[in-house]
Amino acid sequence: MSLTAYDCAETIRRLNDYLDRELSPEEVEMVEAHLATCEHCAAEYGFEQVLLGEIKAKMAQATMPEELRARLQAFIAKARD
Amino acid sequence: MVLDTAYRVALRYTRNPDDAADLLQEATLRALKSKDTFVPGSNFRAWFLTIMTRLWWRMAKKIHTEVDVDAGEEPEVYLYQQCRAAGLHPETIDPARTILAKLDADQVSAAIDDLPEDYRAALALNLLENLSYQEIAELLECPIGTVRSRIHRGRNILQRRLWAMVQETP
Repeated sequence: MSLTAYDCAETIRRLNDYLDRELSPEEVEMVEAHLATCEHCAAEYGFEQVLLGEIKAKMAQATMPEELRARLQAFIAKARD
Repeated sequence: MVLDTAYRVALRYTRNPDDAADLLQEATLRALKSKDTFVPGSNFRAWFLTIMTRLWWRMAKKIHTEVDVDAGEEPEVYLYQQCRAAGLHPETIDPARTILAKLDADQVSAAIDDLPEDYRAALALNLLENLSYQEIAELLECPIGTVRSRIHRGRNILQRRLWAMVQETP
């Protein structure tokens, strides 16, 4: 049985869960059916997807200090002896 | 790799590089001491993050409290709306990249660090570790619905803060 698409409000309500892959396969199908036909919601989804990717990329720029890394590696090496 | 992302999570937990280093070092020592409790074949990353998170709670003398935040759970798509209002239309420009390019990594981190503790923790695990809501719920010892609510509300608050920062940036 083929499922019907969500409307705009139902799709936007599920946007975060869709981005985080937290929806059931049936819900994914209905969200994607709507996005395929609604330019406005597709633009909102595209925006949120890029935004999350950019935020993740900025957060990933923080690097562990080399001195801390060396200390942790020394602890690990010692525990292995 | 596990330690690299764990350091980033520790940074968001503690909001301070020195405290993050202390937390990660202590978690590493605890993990090495209790390595026999790790079940081979299970998720090492989740096991380590659980040790680190429990430690953080103890270090921060953390008490579970529900914070009343001024944000709904449904996506407000606030930034998208602001971009449209500012004339940054997705048809002609990539608005998400355009506005995030105005902020550096420290500013984005500061916006996240401004979130209430429980929201910050759930969002850090979601954004940095790509854990599922169920995995985050197990790690933070709270219902999955609570995790969902914190992530969704946290994103709404974050979008408002990012927009305010963009407005303040010359």
